Amino acid sequence: MLRRSSIGSVAIAVALGAAMAGARAHDEAKYPDWKGQWVRMGGIQWDPSKPLGRAELAPLTPEYQAIFEAGLASQAAGGQGNDPTYTCIPPGMPRAMTVVYPMEIVVMPETTYIMIEYANQLRRIYTDGRDWPEALEPSFAGYSIGKWEDEDQDGRYDALLIETRGMKGPRTFDASGIPLHKDNQTIVKERIYLDKANPNILHAEVTTTDNALTRPWTVIKNYRRERKPIWFEYVCAEGNHHVAIGKENYYISQDGYLMPTRKNQPAPDLKYFNQARQ
Amino acid sequence: MLHRSLIGSLAAAAAMALAMTGTRADDELKYPDWSGQWSRTGGIQWDTSKPLGRGQQAPLTPEYQAMFEASLADQASGGQGNDLRYTCLPPGMPRIMSVIFPMEFIILPNTTYILFENNMPRRIYTDGRDWPKNLEPAFSGYSIGTWLDEDGDGRYDVLDVETRSMKGPRAYEASGLPLHSDNQTIVKERIYLDKANRDILHDDITTIDNALTRPWTVAKKFRRTRDPVWSDYDCNEGNQHVAIGKESYFLSAEGLLMPTKKNQSPPDLRYFNQARK
Repeated sequence: MLRRSSIGSVAIAVALGAAMAGARAHDEAKYPDWKGQWVRMGGIQWDPSKPLGRAELAPLTPEYQAIFEAGLASQAAGGQGNDPTYTCIPPGMPRAMTVVYPMEIVVMPETTYIMIEYANQLRRIYTDGRDWPEALEPSFAGYSIGKWEDEDQDGRYDALLIETRGMKGPRTFDASGIPLHKDNQTIVKERIYLDKANPNILHAEVTTTDNALTRPWTVIKNYRRERKPIWFEYVCAEGNHHVAIGKENYYISQDGYLMPTRKNQPAPDLKYFNQARQ
Repeated sequence: MLHRSLIGSLAAAAAMALAMTGTRADDELKYPDWSGQWSRTGGIQWDTSKPLGRGQQAPLTPEYQAMFEASLADQASGGQGNDLRYTCLPPGMPRIMSVIFPMEFIILPNTTYILFENNMPRRIYTDGRDWPKNLEPAFSGYSIGTWLDEDGDGRYDVLDVETRSMKGPRAYEASGLPLHSDNQTIVKERIYLDKANRDILHDDITTIDNALTRPWTVAKKFRRTRDPVWSDYDCNEGNQHVAIGKESYFLSAEGLLMPTKKNQSPPDLRYFNQARK
């Protein structure tokens, strides 16, 4: 005979199992299945259908095209140009959606969470019907409000429309340093949905409206699903050999010494060390 | 007469609203309500019932007590001691559970996520998996959890978590209380709501580590905010600390390198001399 506590445990386990199955059934009936790990398809450039750099044909204003060209020249000389991520600050929106390292999307009724391994980027997409807060604290990832759409009217959501505002800088579109405007008035609109023919492909149509651009710029990002993921912990600051001192970028050698990153780069000013010795 | 597509939309919306209500009811029946934002109560020290530093009375082995004392001495002279957070390395486990900035829980049947404002999320796998054979070390480690229904009311109330496979360097707190450099740490946690106040969450954390003479248990408490505002904290943004070799320096407001200790040597600029030749 089973002991009373065992019977109780079995009954509870059955009840819990039934409830869990119920919750899953409801979730799967209502929201798309975006579970698993999403890995970018294509390179790390902003528009993956074009090569990195000038070939992206970013619709920049003349002022920001000049800033971009100066950034490219700096990179050609060994500098970092406009790309600030060598200091390990997050790329922010919209660049986060390049998904340098994989992402996970967790869909909950009131919030969809996008967790991206690269640079610890966490996006909360609020889908609870809220309006924009009156005072938004700027952040690299911005503040995102989303709306689920049942575009084919089959009773199940299939697209998440997102608008993101409230970003801060410095941000660029990609590693070549295509700049966003320093006024940080960027608005990013996304439409995220599964491929109709292959549910292991996710699309994000990303439209950026920014004062550095002459028109809204739309690119399509594609991600491939890994259903049995292994997650890695990427820590930019771990073993980062770049050092920013004032406006200069230096490098730490393997043996721990400061090195120039471009020809004839001045060494850092050590005047505070002289004062300390007096 | 209503247009057919409009009727279809209304019917679909009604079906979704019903389904959403059902989901919430099921979840609330099964898992505890840990929604909202959880902020630490107490200071940033490891055992919040005791003062930071020596006052923690950490059960360190003599070897690691000596390391701790050396760290305290270095900090007293302006250095960072064993605490490498100034380089923006993550605190890792178990220190991350000091929750310097607030955290959020997402509970799904197979995984409980703990999201932090200043760190990568923790994933606690509750799908019954065993420990993988090859674990890639991570500051946060790898966590397996078990939900318990201790009061037998058909609803889970405790999450038991075990975390292994951390990497270092890690310290318990800013004073530099060290964990062993072999990174064989095992952390066991018991997370549950306070029975009298559902806006208080407890995390009883036991650390087993070769730098300790015995397992060390501390009780952390967190306070809930139900309508949270989240901030975006990034350690690297505006970090004025600079590590060059084994030395830590500081950047002045005008961007010049400064010593952090009396009579600290400036960085060796030998590669700049070579570059100028």
